[in-house]
Amino acid sequence: MSGDHIHPEPTSFLSKYVFSHDHKVIAKQFMWFGLVWLGIGGIMAMMIRWQLAHPGDPIPAIGMFLFPRTDGVLDPATYNTLFTMHGTIMIFLGLTPLMIGAFGNWCIPLMIGARDMIFPLLNMLSFWTVFLGGCVGLYSLFVPLGANEAGWTSYATLSTTIGAQGHGETLWAVAVFLIGASSIMGGINYMTTIIRLRAPGMTWGKLPLTVWALFLTSVLNVLFIPVIGSAMILLFLDRAVGTSFFTPASLMQGGGGGDPILYQHLFWIFGHPEVYILILPAWGFVCDLLSFFARKPAFGYRTSVGAMVAVTVLSAVVYGHHMFTTGLSPMLGESFMLLTMIISVPAEILFFNWLHTLWKGNLRLEVPMLWAIGVIFVFGLGGLTGIYLATIGTDIFLHDTYFVVGHFHLTMAASALFGTFGALTFWFPKMFGRRMNQTLGKIHFWGTIVPLTFVFCLMFAMGYSGMPRRYFDHTSAEWLADLQHMNVMATHAALLLGAFQLVFVYNFIKSRWWGPAAETNPWEVGTLDWTMPTPVPYYNFKEIPTVHTGPHEFSHPALGDDRDWIPMTEKLPG
Amino acid sequence: MHRLKTLLSTRLKGCAALLALLAMSGVAHAQEAAETANRWGLGEPASDYGYRFTDLFWFITLLVGISFVLVLILIAIPVIRDRARPGHKASFDHGSSLHDKQVTTVISVITFIVLDAWVLVIAMQDLREAYWAIPEADQEGVYQVEVLAQQWSWNFRTPGIDGEFGTADDILSNSELVVPVGRPVSFQMTSKDVIHALFLPEMRMKKDVNPGDINTSWFQATRAGDFTILCAELCGYAHYQMHGKLTVLEEDTFNEWEREASKLALTAFDPEDTESQWAWDWEQ
Repeated sequence: MSGDHIHPEPTSFLSKYVFSHDHKVIAKQFMWFGLVWLGIGGIMAMMIRWQLAHPGDPIPAIGMFLFPRTDGVLDPATYNTLFTMHGTIMIFLGLTPLMIGAFGNWCIPLMIGARDMIFPLLNMLSFWTVFLGGCVGLYSLFVPLGANEAGWTSYATLSTTIGAQGHGETLWAVAVFLIGASSIMGGINYMTTIIRLRAPGMTWGKLPLTVWALFLTSVLNVLFIPVIGSAMILLFLDRAVGTSFFTPASLMQGGGGGDPILYQHLFWIFGHPEVYILILPAWGFVCDLLSFFARKPAFGYRTSVGAMVAVTVLSAVVYGHHMFTTGLSPMLGESFMLLTMIISVPAEILFFNWLHTLWKGNLRLEVPMLWAIGVIFVFGLGGLTGIYLATIGTDIFLHDTYFVVGHFHLTMAASALFGTFGALTFWFPKMFGRRMNQTLGKIHFWGTIVPLTFVFCLMFAMGYSGMPRRYFDHTSAEWLADLQHMNVMATHAALLLGAFQLVFVYNFIKSRWWGPAAETNPWEVGTLDWTMPTPVPYYNFKEIPTVHTGPHEFSHPALGDDRDWIPMTEKLPG
Repeated sequence: MHRLKTLLSTRLKGCAALLALLAMSGVAHAQEAAETANRWGLGEPASDYGYRFTDLFWFITLLVGISFVLVLILIAIPVIRDRARPGHKASFDHGSSLHDKQVTTVISVITFIVLDAWVLVIAMQDLREAYWAIPEADQEGVYQVEVLAQQWSWNFRTPGIDGEFGTADDILSNSELVVPVGRPVSFQMTSKDVIHALFLPEMRMKKDVNPGDINTSWFQATRAGDFTILCAELCGYAHYQMHGKLTVLEEDTFNEWEREASKLALTAFDPEDTESQWAWDWEQ
């Protein structure tokens, strides 16, 4: 922990930018990696939407290049692959690397006052493992007999050799395993770093809420990723070696026999915590950003932490609500329904604290603040619609309809994405020493939130009208054909949403290399990361700082009139 | 007041442009809508427990709607009123006093009772009285159906006149199911290959159909007519085409149909055709 063990800064290109041990470089590697995959996943979403609105029409512009054999028209197999990989990519290769890989790496050492992660080599390994996982996932699209077409959940037996012949499915399992291994490495590293390397005075009660959220995310990662890892090993064995963990005896020639429902249990024991793995960091960003830009202490710091801990614990015991139509025993079903509903209590406490943080503040509606408020909005919509799905009586009808698609996109996709955009625009000046264009940032925000809300709220109407998800063409069934107008509307709004992301791409790339220079602390906040010079020096802190005040002491009466903030390293006057 | 006006004029311009774009697409659709019959929402349910879904759905919508409007108001007020401006300072409040904790607790309890417990009680009642109250086999008038799902069609088997499964007069059909009105229809189902889900939207019934396991479900039709059978669980290439027709007949017409179909099944029965002899004993 002492300062006498600093290695010299690496000088070669490879050790400095590629196989770097520096958490700041690794953070940026994760960031670019995540952004590229976010783009790929987004283009897949656009193609899915196009097919739904205009079944059988060639995809404009890119269709001819991607699917030359069919003149740009999607076939059902490719369509299934697209939504499968859209889900897999967005969750495992887009949002996870961005929120946890990039901001976990960037925020944790800088915000707790550490020189680096406690295991820098493991940190590097974590990035290169997810990179390898991404490569395997990409390669799985181009192998003989087809890519994964079984959905991101890849339920057995559709994912075993009974339902999927393609090597793509096998490689998909390998890819998810590798990505999971990377997350476990990251999780162990983050937890240990936060426990062991906090600067003197940085007590658990003074940690920025971002760090708290990343800590809890790491706990979930370390506890539950091994479950999906084991499911992937079993699936791999079923496919490659001919075991039958997930194939029932009635389907096996020559004995053996397992249970396809076992896969669902394993998948969702991981899968539900995964939702919170993605949402907790966003909650952390929101807790901090609201306070930073409302120039007010985060309301109810301790109850917010308590609520996040409660959600972390509860997330482990609610997974059964994904399986209400599977044929769970009534007692299990009712227990899971009750436990799921209890989650609304900690969620409500967080909303209460967020809204209270805004109340009577001095709101600076800069771009990161807009995204933070946007999270309250979309998570409000998404979280409240969760009640319909937690309630078995309504879930029986809504299960596997577009209602579910709207719900989880608003909660884990839109909220996590908005949180990521908030974090990106907030830490950009410290990461790259330049400022992003505020006007373009606001255009991007409004161009995202309006069509996004429209698309996913429309999906609630679709689901209520009985439209099943994962259908290649809804016009094929007579009863669904008269719902097609909603598909057309949703697609147009989604294309608009996609188009507005180009504003972000332009703004991000232009500002990264040609943006105006940023001040050291443009947002005037007191956490340790902003006390540092820009660019942040190699090994961060020449001397480990001592922390005296909390992260959110804004507008403290003792500060007088000339400033409303105080660095955590300073003592409050008086 | 003046601040509010300037705010509205500047901020809303951007949103207005966006909304206009959406509206344009909306108008185009409205014109289309005039030509084809576009549906919003669900028609009347055709099963006797079907009303429970709609009732509970709109009850939750009422609770959720009130909560969401409350959240919107609590965002809007500070965003309009408490904007940063010279000379304005935020109040200093950690929200950690005993009073704050009491308020938090009270609101949590109210949330739990109103949003959760209330809905939970109704849902439990629905489950016990309807969705999970699967009729016993020996109950008067139960019409039993065995379902064998496969990629990508539905095989249905009903016991025929003798009321026994696995006999020569079993009525077999593919993708078409005929049931009587006003009698409980009880399903036992399994799959040949992957997981499917039997979805009867007008009956508000859905249940997964798993290989290697028998799942049960039921409904009771309230009116005669033609209805939809869909597959709700992704089952591969032609998942979207795995639909069928559910015909509900009046008691008299149904009895006649059943007699005819059973007689036809007897003459068509081929003991060599093992493929079609997939029946199992009705399990309790």
